[in-house]
Amino acid sequence: MVRKLCLALAVGASALAISGLAWADITILVPSGSEGDGLRAAAADYAKMKGTKVEAVQAPYANVFEQGANAGATKSGVFDIILMDDPWIPFFAENGHLEDLTEYFKKAGLEGPDDDFLSKSLAICRNPYNTGPYVCLPYVGNAQMFFYDAAKFKEAGVDAPKTWDDVLKAAKTLTEQGGGRYFGYVFRGGQGNPVVADFMPIFWSYGADMFNADRTKVTIDTPEGAAAMKTFMALRDVSPKGVESYNANEVGTALAAGTAASSINWPNWVATFEDPTQSKMVGKISYSPIPAGTKPGSSEIGHWTMGIMAASKNKQEAFDFMLWATSAEQIKVSAERGNPPVRASVFTDPELTKQEKFRHYPVLMEAIQASTPRPRHPKWPEIENAFGIELSKAVAGTITPEEALKNSQAAIEQITGLK
Amino acid sequence: MVKAGGGLECWAERHLRYLMLAPTVLILLALTIFPSIYMFYAAVHRVSPNPDLPWQFVGFDNFGRLLVDAQFQVALRNTAVFTIIAVSIEFLLGLGLALLLDRFIRRLTFLKTVLMVPMMLPPIAVAITWKLIYEPQFGVLNEIMFRLGLPTQAWAGDVNLAMFSIIVADVWQWTPFIFLLMLAGLASLPVEPYEAAALDGASSWRQFWDLTLPFLKPVIAIALLLRVMDALRLFDLVFILTGGGPADRTKVLSLYIYQVAYRFADPGYAAAISLFVLFVTIILSTWFMKRMRLAE
Repeated sequence: MVRKLCLALAVGASALAISGLAWADITILVPSGSEGDGLRAAAADYAKMKGTKVEAVQAPYANVFEQGANAGATKSGVFDIILMDDPWIPFFAENGHLEDLTEYFKKAGLEGPDDDFLSKSLAICRNPYNTGPYVCLPYVGNAQMFFYDAAKFKEAGVDAPKTWDDVLKAAKTLTEQGGGRYFGYVFRGGQGNPVVADFMPIFWSYGADMFNADRTKVTIDTPEGAAAMKTFMALRDVSPKGVESYNANEVGTALAAGTAASSINWPNWVATFEDPTQSKMVGKISYSPIPAGTKPGSSEIGHWTMGIMAASKNKQEAFDFMLWATSAEQIKVSAERGNPPVRASVFTDPELTKQEKFRHYPVLMEAIQASTPRPRHPKWPEIENAFGIELSKAVAGTITPEEALKNSQAAIEQITGLK
Repeated sequence: MVKAGGGLECWAERHLRYLMLAPTVLILLALTIFPSIYMFYAAVHRVSPNPDLPWQFVGFDNFGRLLVDAQFQVALRNTAVFTIIAVSIEFLLGLGLALLLDRFIRRLTFLKTVLMVPMMLPPIAVAITWKLIYEPQFGVLNEIMFRLGLPTQAWAGDVNLAMFSIIVADVWQWTPFIFLLMLAGLASLPVEPYEAAALDGASSWRQFWDLTLPFLKPVIAIALLLRVMDALRLFDLVFILTGGGPADRTKVLSLYIYQVAYRFADPGYAAAISLFVLFVTIILSTWFMKRMRLAE
C-alpha cells in the first residue's frame, strides 16, 4: 500500500515537473530587476481582475535572451510572451520567433498602437525598424541620460555640462582633487555589452555610426569614430582604477555612494539614487540629456518590449494582456512602481511630475525622443561581442584606440559579410 | 496459466540482476550516449536559430573553423595557462599542507571540516564572494592595501592581474580537495619502510623523496587528473568575476562555448568546440591513467 502510494506520488511529481508551467493561461518570460518586477506585479493584477492565470518567469538579463531563443528554436511554446531588450528584436523577429501583431490589432478594431506612445518607442517595435509590421509593444521606456553631481561640477567650474569637453574639464579637476578616492567620471568598461552601451552615445555624438545609412558598409574606422574614441579614452583616464571590469552595479554604486561625480546611466537607477536607504546622494544628482560632441548628443535607447512567441498556444490571450498592460492607465501604474513610461500622457501627468522622484521625466522624455537604437541586425549579439572585445582592449590599454577601431571594423565586416 | 506464470516468474528470477540494472542503464544511456551522439551530429551541421530552416550538413567545416578562429585560440591559450598554473599551485599547496599537518590534524577533526568548507560551497557563491573581495572601490582587499599604505589594485579589471585573481580564487576553493586526498594517501602509507629507513639513517628529505612520493604516486595521479579535468571546464568564476575580460585575458573555453551556443546562436560550432575539449580531456585522462599504471 505504502509502495503504491509512493509510486503514485512519484508519478504525480514527475508529471508536474514535465508539464512545468502548463497550468498557466499565459506565461511571460521577464528579466530580473525592476523591469521584470513591474510586469510581474502587473500580471498579478491582471490575474486578479480577469481571473486569468498569468505566470511570470524571471531570469537574469542574459538568460532571458537564451531562454527565449531556445524556446523559439525548439518551438516549445513554453512562453507566450517575452519581455525583450530592444536590440534583441531583429534576432527574434527574423528567426521567426515573434508573432506579427497586425492581425491582432485588426481583430481588436485598431489600426495599431495609439499616438500617445512616443514615436521612438514605437519605431523600435517594428521590424524592420520603423517601417515593418509591429512585432511587439513597448513597456519600459529606458533611454540613457547623463547623471551628474551638480554641486561638484559647479565647484569644478562647470555649471551644467552641455558638451563632452565640459564633462572632461570638470571630471579632470574632480579626479585630480580626489586623491584616488573620488572620481569625476565613471563608466561601464566591462567587456561586451557594458562597454559598448557606454561608448555608443559618445560614438554618435561625434557623428559616427556602425553602418552607413543603407547598411551596405561598416563605418567604425572613420575620422568621426577616432574623435569619439579620443574622448572615450580621455574619460577613461579620469575614471576609477578597475573600470575595465565595471558593469551597471559598480557604476550605480559609485554614484550612490558619492565616490564618482558623473556617468551615463539608465533611468531605472533614479529610484536607487533617490532612496535614502540606498544612496548618500538623495536630491543631489542632476539629470541631463547626453552631452554633445561635434554633433548633438544622442542616448542609446534600451526599451523593454513585449512580444508574443510564435509557438505560443495562447496568442489571443497574450495579445489581450499586452494591450491591457501597455494602456495609459497601466503604464502609469508601472511608472509608480519604478519603471520609466513609454507614453507622453504619463510623462506629463501632473500627479507624477509634481513628485520629486519623477523630476527627471522631462529630461528622460527628451532623451527618448533624441535617442538612437543600437544597430538593428539579427547578429547584434555577435557584433556587440566583437566590438566589446576591442573596446575592452582599448580601455585596458593593450591596444591603441586606432587599433581598436581598425580591428572592430574588420571583425564586424567578417560577421556581417559587408565589405 | 499457472505454468505460464511460473515460467515468467522463473525467467524474471533468472534475469533479476539485469532487470534491476535496466532502469539505471537506460537513464545513463539517455543522459550520456544520446547527448554525445547528438552533439557529434550537431557538430557536422550548420544549425540555424530559425526552426523552419533545416540543418545544413557541413561535414568537418565547424572543426576547420577552430584553426582560424582567433577567439577560440585565445580561449584555448587562457584555459591552458589557467589549468597549468592553478592545478600546480593547488597540488604543491595541498601536498605541502598535508605533509605539514598530517600528524597534527588527525587529532583535530574540526580543523579538517573547516578546511573542507571552500570546496563544499557552490561555485557561484565562491565567485560572488571573491567579486566582493576584489571590488576596487569598496572591496576588503583594497581597503587593507589602502590602510597599509600600499597602492590599491583593479584585481579583476587589470589585464595583468585578472587571470591571477581568478587563479587565487580557484586555489582557495580547490586546494582543500588536494589536501584531503593527500592526507588520505599519507594515512594509508605503511610504517615499516620508514622505520627501516630511519634505522639506516635516511634524512626526512630522503624518506620523502624515496618513500613518500613513490607511495603517493597513484593518489597524486588521481588528484591531478580530477583537478585538470575540472579546471578545463572552468566557467563560474570567470563568468561572475570578469566575463572573460578585460581585453579577453580571462576568456576560457567553457565561457566561449556558452557564448557561441547561446549568445551567437550557433550550436553547431559550439558542439565542435565541445567535442574538441572532450577529445583533449580523454587524451589527458588516458595519459594520466597510463602513468598511474606505470607508477604502480
